[in-house]
Amino acid sequence: MGKILKKFIARLAILVVVVLVGGFWYVRHIPSSPFDGAGQPEAMATLEQGEYIARASDCVACHSVPEGKPFAGGLEMGTPMGSIFATNITPDKETGIGNYTLAQFDNAVRRGVAADGHRLYPAMPYPSYAKLSDDDVKALYDYFMHHVEPVKQANKPTTIKWPLNQRWPLAFWNVAFYESGTYKADSSKDELWNRGAYLVQGPGHCGSCHTPRGPAMEEKALTEADNAYLSGALLDGWYAPSLRGDHNRGLGRWSEEDIATFLKTGRNQHGVVFGSMVDAFNNSTQYMSDNDLKAIAHYLKSLPGNDGDGTPWEYHEVSVAMVRPGEQSFMANCSFCHGRDGKGRDEWIPPLAGTTSMLSSYDESAINVVLNGSGRVVASGIPDAYRMPSFRDKLSDQQIADVLSFVRSSWGNNGPAVTVDDVKALREHTHPASPQPIILQMR
Amino acid sequence: MNEMVNFLAGMNEAATSRPLNFSRRGFLGASLGALVLGVVLPGGTARAQAAGAVKPGTRVPAFIEIRNDGTVFFRSPFIEGGQGIFTAMAQIVGEELDVDPQNFTVECAPAGPDYTIMFGGHMRITGGSFSVRSSYPIMRKLGAAARQMLLEVAAKRLDVPMSELTTEPGVVIHAASGRRLNYGDLAEEAATQPVPEDAPLKADADFRWIRKPLKRLDVRDKSTGKAMYSIDLKVDGMLLAAVQHAPRLGWESGKIFNEDQVKAMRGVHSIHTIPGAVAVVADRWWHAKRAAEALQVEWKEPAADVTYAMPADFSTEAFREKLAATRGPGVDAEKEGDVDGAFKAANKVIEAQYDAPYLAHGQLEPPSAIARWNEDGTLEIWTPNQAPEMFQGVAAKQFGLPPEKILIHSPLLGGFFGRNFTYLNGGIPFPQAALLAQKVGKPVKVIWSREDEFLRDYFRPMGLVRFRGGLDKDGMPVALTADVMGEGPTESLNGVDPNKVDPNGVEGIVEKPYAIPNRHIVQIKVPHVARVGYWRSVGHSMNDFFYETFFDEMADAGGHDPYELRHKLVAGSPRHLKLLETVAESAGGWKRGPFTAEDGSKRARGVSMASPFGSETASIAEVSIEGGQVVVHDVWVAIDPGSIVNPAIIEAQVKSATALGLSTALLEEVVYEGGKPLARNYDRYPILPLSRMARVHVSIVESGAPMGGVGEPGLPGVPPAVANAVSVLAGQRIRRLPLSRSSLGV
Amino acid sequence: MNLVINNKTYEIDSDADTPLLWVIREEVGLTGTKFGCGLAQCGACTVLVDGEPCRSCVTPVESVVGKQITTIETIEEDAVGKKVVEAWVEAQVPQCGYCQSGQVLAATALLKRNPNPSDADIADAMVNLCRCGTYNGIVDAIHAASRQA
Ligand code: FES
Ligand code: FES
Repeated sequence: MGKILKKFIARLAILVVVVLVGGFWYVRHIPSSPFDGAGQPEAMATLEQGEYIARASDCVACHSVPEGKPFAGGLEMGTPMGSIFATNITPDKETGIGNYTLAQFDNAVRRGVAADGHRLYPAMPYPSYAKLSDDDVKALYDYFMHHVEPVKQANKPTTIKWPLNQRWPLAFWNVAFYESGTYKADSSKDELWNRGAYLVQGPGHCGSCHTPRGPAMEEKALTEADNAYLSGALLDGWYAPSLRGDHNRGLGRWSEEDIATFLKTGRNQHGVVFGSMVDAFNNSTQYMSDNDLKAIAHYLKSLPGNDGDGTPWEYHEVSVAMVRPGEQSFMANCSFCHGRDGKGRDEWIPPLAGTTSMLSSYDESAINVVLNGSGRVVASGIPDAYRMPSFRDKLSDQQIADVLSFVRSSWGNNGPAVTVDDVKALREHTHPASPQPIILQMR
Repeated sequence: MNEMVNFLAGMNEAATSRPLNFSRRGFLGASLGALVLGVVLPGGTARAQAAGAVKPGTRVPAFIEIRNDGTVFFRSPFIEGGQGIFTAMAQIVGEELDVDPQNFTVECAPAGPDYTIMFGGHMRITGGSFSVRSSYPIMRKLGAAARQMLLEVAAKRLDVPMSELTTEPGVVIHAASGRRLNYGDLAEEAATQPVPEDAPLKADADFRWIRKPLKRLDVRDKSTGKAMYSIDLKVDGMLLAAVQHAPRLGWESGKIFNEDQVKAMRGVHSIHTIPGAVAVVADRWWHAKRAAEALQVEWKEPAADVTYAMPADFSTEAFREKLAATRGPGVDAEKEGDVDGAFKAANKVIEAQYDAPYLAHGQLEPPSAIARWNEDGTLEIWTPNQAPEMFQGVAAKQFGLPPEKILIHSPLLGGFFGRNFTYLNGGIPFPQAALLAQKVGKPVKVIWSREDEFLRDYFRPMGLVRFRGGLDKDGMPVALTADVMGEGPTESLNGVDPNKVDPNGVEGIVEKPYAIPNRHIVQIKVPHVARVGYWRSVGHSMNDFFYETFFDEMADAGGHDPYELRHKLVAGSPRHLKLLETVAESAGGWKRGPFTAEDGSKRARGVSMASPFGSETASIAEVSIEGGQVVVHDVWVAIDPGSIVNPAIIEAQVKSATALGLSTALLEEVVYEGGKPLARNYDRYPILPLSRMARVHVSIVESGAPMGGVGEPGLPGVPPAVANAVSVLAGQRIRRLPLSRSSLGV
Repeated sequence: MNLVINNKTYEIDSDADTPLLWVIREEVGLTGTKFGCGLAQCGACTVLVDGEPCRSCVTPVESVVGKQITTIETIEEDAVGKKVVEAWVEAQVPQCGYCQSGQVLAATALLKRNPNPSDADIADAMVNLCRCGTYNGIVDAIHAASRQA
């Protein structure tokens, strides 16, 4: 989230200055919720229902930290102006959300407004959660109020200084970029498609990473109505590829089954989850039902590819002659796992041939994963047998640029060459992944 | 040196009680598959011996067994870890016994009083580069005594006076009658002879094998995959175990969230909470490892009285700052002359602060241990170790058993460098294996993953030294002070005496050969938080870097060439002078540079001297800087170990030590953040690869001084020689290792 | 699944993603192939698969079904391998020896591909780690084996 926030807050600074007058009432106003007056109702859903929607929404990835108590908050999101911290959303009455009524909870989740009226940074993906059904919000509320341990742990104040720490201009951001209203089924589409659309747009908030952002860091589209939706985006040092039908940079070569398998097991013949998708897989997608994953796959496969994806990738043999820069590094560091032929090893070790990160004009994911390795993929509670090591201490910027330029121009890959400066920039702003499996507990 | 001995003895009081541990079982190697051979001990005397009655290093049959075919099975007090000690033992014993060393089979002796031969019969370790120098006369005597026993039997059989007999390798000869008797035919009877006390030793001039570059005994097996290490061994009915360690030492497991799920994983036998870890026992290690990784364990902060615990906020950078910020008073390590007066009178005073990081051992064989509880109540352990009696003592204490009930096997070491001492508090795996074997009622082998090893290694200490040097009007150093910060490994392991210096903490800064008249060196104690232990060349591994690079700073400040200045300051010591001149000569003469090499690269040379482990060294390194990276082209090392046994092994050891020295100079550093080491495998702890190795040229000088060590002394001179050369090219002083930390924009 | 190791066929009962290393060591029972890092960093686990060096610790067993796997145990049955072993003994390369199975196999693969490697070729190909620092010996032995051809 670091990068969105950085840009976002920089732009916010301008807003703060420009919007000095107007709408004091508006910015302090608490929106209405269908649950106004419902108070703190008892048991509205089963544990399973609540936990399922919490999984699908991946609440735990931001609101818990390794070694911390579930949902007690604390995850730091750095910005140049200071850091913000995810909050305690356990039902502790003092430091958590124990006093929240259902309506207050609803306003926080779906509208980005806390109980006291302050606006949440849209690092909280409420523009997506806005699509959640009333039932799912109820189930979620029920889950947090009744099944999560209350933890007394004060929220850490942001370290952003006045005036940049003012939240009320976010209300105006909402006016511009927030679409209210829960997901509306498209009656021209079948049930499976609609279920998939709901999950992708709403709880799954896939667009947070995969949809490009506009000038105010808003997602350029929140539904398939716009071609920008899920068309791939750069975020926090990772390039989240297109989830549309693009042959090279998207899911054009994947079947619906491939997609569902990927979300269920973290891997398929095309690749293995890496970078920030590891968190999403470890904590969220694998817990979804087969039917929901099928629905997601079905919906994603309905999104057409965009122009400008180039000629479809095809595999070409390459003989490694140790003459091009990067070839020796490839042989010494990469080939043992990914194969001299770049094809990987079945679904266990991903190919380098034909993968998005080696075809895309964005080289961040490729650089980042070489510098920092990737977090452990934990499927059904079992950590992966093979992990990607970090090469930041073994290879220089030049060596990484060379080896990636080699990989991105081999076996039919046609990604642009990687520059030393690109590597250098990412080296400074990223950190190595933990070699230990990180498992966040929900309860 | 004595401190090290004290420490090692102190690690285990039981070790000094000299248990009698001479059961057949200890030798049978169970299902080791390697050598299986009954031990023929003279008429049950071994068992009849009372504890304490054995004089270590004297009972020939405990060491030497001659088989019918004339080959010799020898039980070495020292363990082979690549340093060539088995070959050296065969060479020394074979020389006096008159058996070709190539006909020896050598294994490490079990724990027992026969083998605690070091330091007047107190103990034994394989370490401190002590093995040959501490046992040379004893081994010669053993060989000579065994030969005499053969001669006695031969004399009887041939019915001639012993004085008429001579030997050739493996044969007793009666020259007058031309009769010959093979050793193999005499062996059984010879073993029953009383051990002679006064068997004559050969004159050095008659040596057939000592001082010759004999081939090592273990090389072929190691080139064909036949050599067996602890990790390769198997005993019948054994289960395999992997552990998930607490992320920080001293922390203990709490709730396990998914125990049932993990129990159901393939091959899993059982899950056990053990001190500082949760272990999974399974049919295969791969199954155990996957299950151990899958365990979702809550780790709880240690109790306040766990003194060795790792705090959640420990960072090496903060510790370094603490070392830099702490001021005396310290304990005097060396005080000579009138330092204050000398500084007052000095023409020029320079100061500098140096530091070097914690280092991991990184031996290529990951730790492992097999434990088996036998029906006779003995506990049998196979594990990499450099000190069988100490391991025995620790196991005895852990389970409240008399030491003789603990049988220790010492298989070949897949590298050690000081890693395999009894590092308690979770530094070694055998206590886990013994505990698990007890719990499951079957033999258990524990293997640590590389990640476990980086988490639980006992590191080479971080060090920091502040120097001050005073120069007279001719630029000659006349005064030197050093604040040596931190703790040595010995005191850190053994308990700190605030009034005493840990010699392992200051070695390499004290007792330097240079004639600087006024010196004051103090040790200022700052306790380590990370666990520290012995690491190849111990304190010398960094202290000579500190001293010898500061020496070059003094030379530059005084306008002297660093080689010439060394030459002047050792002028009074022929041994050092010779060594310095030898290394310069082998390098084709001293030149500092920068100069342009044949391949067009701009190069420079650095020089250094060190006095580690009873030996002396002088080193020269030639480097260039390419693309900001230091390239070390050649290293010349002259070593004077006094007197030698096998020059080929010495050369190999010096090359090996040079590689490790280069590795530390260029690459190595253990970094902690948040109480955790960042590196858990070689990806984030790079070690020297072949592509960065220098060509090493070794000269051996035999000055005839008392025999010194060989395994470690090659190392300390390398980092300063490299850093001194780099300083010339980079135009900046290198005061911190590794060099990968410095940006060298040349 | 069946594996062909050193020209012998073994019936294997391991999960598809099990590293070849552990199949060789634990199921087949050949211990010359060593575990050093498990992360493709050290090369101690090197075996030959269809003649090419392969780090068995990062090779899912399923991916080598139907291929020829050669371990150190039979390297001397190969003419080049035999030459390498002799050169290793002659140059007295090993110290602790733990990395040497991998080194010998990597050298064999190099010499099969390139019977006359230069120092630079050797540095490019011999990327297995040796903590004992036997690198000078490795280079010397490879040159010597190459001259034997
Ligand atoms: S064990 Fe396979 S490369 Fe290290
Ligand atoms: S010989 Fe010991 S690691 Fe290579």
